[in-house]
Amino acid sequence: MTVVDAPPPRLPVRPRPSAEPARGGVSPMLTRLAAERATGALIREHGTLYLAEGRVVHAESPLTPGLDVLLTAHGTLKAEVWHNAVARADERHGAARLLLSGGHLAEGALELCHLGALYDAAYFALAPSSTPGRFRCGIAHRLGPVLPVAVADLEREVLRRRELLRRIWPDARPDSAPLVRTHATAAPGLTLRQRTLLERIDGTRTATDLARELGRQAFHTLVDIRRLAAAGLVAPRDAPGPAGDGETPAFAEQSAYTTDPHITLLKRLRDALEAL
Amino acid sequence: MANTETCLKEALASIEGATGVALVDYTSGMALGTLGGGKSLDLTVAAAGNTDVVRAKMRTMEHLGLKGQIEDILITLTDQYHLIRLLSGRGGSGLFLYLVLDSKRANLAMARHQLKKIEESLEV
Repeated sequence: MTVVDAPPPRLPVRPRPSAEPARGGVSPMLTRLAAERATGALIREHGTLYLAEGRVVHAESPLTPGLDVLLTAHGTLKAEVWHNAVARADERHGAARLLLSGGHLAEGALELCHLGALYDAAYFALAPSSTPGRFRCGIAHRLGPVLPVAVADLEREVLRRRELLRRIWPDARPDSAPLVRTHATAAPGLTLRQRTLLERIDGTRTATDLARELGRQAFHTLVDIRRLAAAGLVAPRDAPGPAGDGETPAFAEQSAYTTDPHITLLKRLRDALEAL
Repeated sequence: MANTETCLKEALASIEGATGVALVDYTSGMALGTLGGGKSLDLTVAAAGNTDVVRAKMRTMEHLGLKGQIEDILITLTDQYHLIRLLSGRGGSGLFLYLVLDSKRANLAMARHQLKKIEESLEV
């Protein structure tokens, strides 16, 4: 009799969406640029980071409202003042300096709003991407330096934010898909911020659209949306199937929307288990 | 008109018994600036954790239908005071100042008063 002592095949395991490819950084290229004290723009799939001597001075992403939206949306700054400062900015005097010297904005307010926008855009810019980043040497942003951030601090914060979202609700689909409202059996009380957000969810808007409309940071909007998803009040709209299967977006929306409490509960349970 | 760094420095230097201070964004839990704290107290961890305190209190107030705003939250330990002051910017700035005091040296009423002054100088 032969004894087979080969180990049994490993059970298939679903890859964790939040798993890091390797410890020690979200972007090896960014870590290298920081070590080389590089100046320029690192262009990635979901956003751009501007570096000056190896420190991050600004970040932009098409998925987040820019500093201009954050500053003008709540009346902190008039839109024409912003445009004027950006138009007059040159290499020696960034737009930030012009706004401060013109007395349009307090230094503390600009610094905090800028830091918020920087970390917000960097979270999306440093998201896992399918294409490699490109670095353009010597490029500076028109805003000019405000408060530079060390790359290590930025990377640590990006990882902390990913973990924060995962802890609130492990399914990342509501971050990017158009959102629909669902009916929860026992909905918790909502804050004013969350109610304002919920009122605008109509089956077409995504988290990015909502953030821009409300003049809020996109990551803050993701935090609220994941909390609403965990409460069973919001779900990503199912992507419409390929043409020809007869399922229109309206139908998909209808099937996501059901008033039967048992089915709603089972669906949430399934989503949570799938996301584990 | 003060910038963030001078505000934090002023808090540590002018408030009697202050050992650490942080300026925190309470939606993301990120410390936008920290000063002091030393090895015994990691202010970035304290910042993230205390956002849950602020959030819980705000949610409770919404449930109770209270219209007032939180000015500050005080937590007393056997040897420390932790003071959280919410910044009242335009439309609610979403930020708070977090101050750690040595309870043997601190004067709470003075600390509250000075922290309010520092908040005003930040002009968020």
